[in-house]
Amino acid sequence: MLFKLAWRNLWRNRRRTLITIASVFFAVLLSVLMRSFQEGSYEVMIRNVVSFYTGYAQIHKEGYWAEQTLDNSFEPAEDLHLAAGPDLGVRRAVPRLESFALASSGDNTRPAMVVGIDPEAEPALTNLDQKLSAGAYFTGTAPAALVAEDLAEKLGLGVGDTLLLIGQGYQGVSAGGRYPIAGLLHFGSPELNKRMVYLPLPEAQYLYGAENRLTSYALVLENPDQTGRVVRALDEALPGSYEVMTWQELQPELVEGIEGDRAGGVITLTILYVIIGFGMFGTVLMMTAERQYEFGVMTAIGMSKLRQSLVIFIEISLMGLLGVLAGLAASLPLTWYFKLNPIYMGEQMAEVYAQFDMEPVLPASTDPGIFLQQAVIVFLLSLAISLYPIWNIQRLQPVRAMRS
Amino acid sequence: MLPILSWRNVWRNRLRSLVVILAIALGLWGGLFMMAFSWGMSEQRTRDIIDTQTSHLQVHHPEFKDEQRLSLTVPQGDSLAAQLRARPEVEAAAARMVLTGMLATASDAVGVQILGVEPEAEAALTRLRSRVTYGAYFPEDKRYPVLIGEQLAEKLGILEGSGDSADVNFRERLVLTFQAEDSTLSARFRVCGIYKAQNSRLEELQVFAVKQDLEALIGAGSLTHELAVKARDIAQTDALMQELRSQTPGMLTETWAELAPDINLIAESFEVSMRIFFVIILLALAFGIINTMLMAVMERTRELGMLMAVGMGKLRVFGMIMLETLYLALVGGPLGVLLAWATITWTSHTGISLAGFGEAGAAAYGMSAVVYPSIQPGYYLEISIMVLITAGLSALYPALRALRLRPVEAIRSH
Repeated sequence: MLFKLAWRNLWRNRRRTLITIASVFFAVLLSVLMRSFQEGSYEVMIRNVVSFYTGYAQIHKEGYWAEQTLDNSFEPAEDLHLAAGPDLGVRRAVPRLESFALASSGDNTRPAMVVGIDPEAEPALTNLDQKLSAGAYFTGTAPAALVAEDLAEKLGLGVGDTLLLIGQGYQGVSAGGRYPIAGLLHFGSPELNKRMVYLPLPEAQYLYGAENRLTSYALVLENPDQTGRVVRALDEALPGSYEVMTWQELQPELVEGIEGDRAGGVITLTILYVIIGFGMFGTVLMMTAERQYEFGVMTAIGMSKLRQSLVIFIEISLMGLLGVLAGLAASLPLTWYFKLNPIYMGEQMAEVYAQFDMEPVLPASTDPGIFLQQAVIVFLLSLAISLYPIWNIQRLQPVRAMRS
Repeated sequence: MLPILSWRNVWRNRLRSLVVILAIALGLWGGLFMMAFSWGMSEQRTRDIIDTQTSHLQVHHPEFKDEQRLSLTVPQGDSLAAQLRARPEVEAAAARMVLTGMLATASDAVGVQILGVEPEAEAALTRLRSRVTYGAYFPEDKRYPVLIGEQLAEKLGILEGSGDSADVNFRERLVLTFQAEDSTLSARFRVCGIYKAQNSRLEELQVFAVKQDLEALIGAGSLTHELAVKARDIAQTDALMQELRSQTPGMLTETWAELAPDINLIAESFEVSMRIFFVIILLALAFGIINTMLMAVMERTRELGMLMAVGMGKLRVFGMIMLETLYLALVGGPLGVLLAWATITWTSHTGISLAGFGEAGAAAYGMSAVVYPSIQPGYYLEISIMVLITAGLSALYPALRALRLRPVEAIRSH
């Protein structure tokens, strides 16, 4: 009965109802867009940073991350290959053997991170073959080294020169080797530029006396949004002697930076809620003022204020619901569009970003959580706003209201 | 005539006008405050990097960055630092020795940067003392003390657990190895404390030792590779740089912007997202105004029809509604600016703590979690104009709707 009355009220003055619904609609649309771009900017940053080196997830021997030494390397067993396959959403497992060593040209010595890689698999994760600034990428697994630009410069070495590596290998053996430099690499991250040396995997294993051993598998995932799920599944599938880690654990500083930024995002979002909330409040306020006569009549003919309040509450809930649904329906394609066609930041910005190997784009995120969260928040906001007409009805004096 | 009519209309229905005025005021307030907040946040990041890492200026031997050799020093670095500290415009200055080397425990070896610092000067310059979370800051009674980062301490197994229940193994001996002029030197050090830095990478990389200890080990007298200076006011950086350049001929003096180019990246990306969010806020404001004005036009159907019936031209009705919006904007605009000015001024003194937001929040990683909003005066004008334009544009549609009313039907409604 009350519901029917509310429903009819809504369509009695169609235009007014549509305007109110529109205000909820825009509220959802804009708050979804805001959150979507906020999260999108983090997603692109994460994508860039994990593609520098770590990938979205890695498998190590249990305890390796806490103590990154060659003694914590592992010999990959057959079951590992099977587990880290497409069934669990892993597109490719990129093997690595990494450790610190001193890189030397004879005159000069620098600490370096020496990484043995599978020359064919590695580019799938880091595009390493496209980061050459001089020379050529590995051909097969012939002994050769790729050296980061800055490191090579500090050592005074170029393509074709011989690089000396000295360090400590597996189980304390001393490691040493000479490698012709096949190419120089340019990284966006100054840290990587200063210390990276790449060798073909068999060469690195020989250098460190770690035959057939790896320190990590960096994983290329089918869908990076599913990282958490894949890692949990892998963790269950693999024996306890392995640890599987997400980028959040591998790159804590990235998480730290994003958390700090997200805190600021909360303030921006609050400001938006104040404005959209007031936009919705404005239409409800006008509606209430416009309907004083009607409210007066209803009270005069004996409808209790409680029932009237209920009717209004139902009306606003309905309008809120319709607005939220319409807003979601509109924001889905819009955010998908901006996910697929991210906003380009312009030439000037592109230059700054290029220095750091970052993409100068701002995509939208289509994380379902965003839609749900904003829909609920805006709907609650509209319910809170319905308190105003209810309050108005409670103190309404029928005679005065009808005279207005 | 029309202006007076519009002005009276505005005050005839106070509630309606108040809604639009407040919408405009809130839009302006929101836009300005968000701008100030983002600006403050971006500035705070810069300030954090300056306060804990780069300082305002650094002097190096010009070849030092390419080739961190022991001999590439800043001559008389110690006495220069002392002279600088005595100057009124200098807040702090310190000389450092910078070595690249390896740190080894019984079971581990990692590449590190060894920084030989003057404990008192360093504490004043990069707040290193207050960033020590476990242990003590270079205590007098310990021989060859070093400070290592939390991240490195965890990695080496020196620090286990966190907070009050953390277990720190201060007995662990570390061997630091680095290249001296012709030979490789190794020496035993002991961890005296564990510090926190802005990010885990620095915590893993940098090891702090006492400059004099390292100098005694090397035995080549005073060695300074890096001279860092912080002015009392960031605006004095350039003047101080000229001064330093003339005092250190042949040396390379760089400002914080040159030392940490990623500050630029942070600032730029802040700027972009800020602009997008600002557009979203303007849109929110526009829809708020459109909705309210549309409601207003509908409500006034009878009134507008009457005006048209007694001979008021369509153009004049349109002009009247636009003028009404202009008046509303002229009242709401200054109100919003005033509100924003008050909020920004207030929060720029008290600061906004982000510690309560997000999970770990910013505080967890040694970044000051308090943002002080600030805004350049020019923005008040710029944003006011943008908000007024938005208000004007948003009034267009409702005014056009009013034009489509047909007098007879309009009067009959209700």
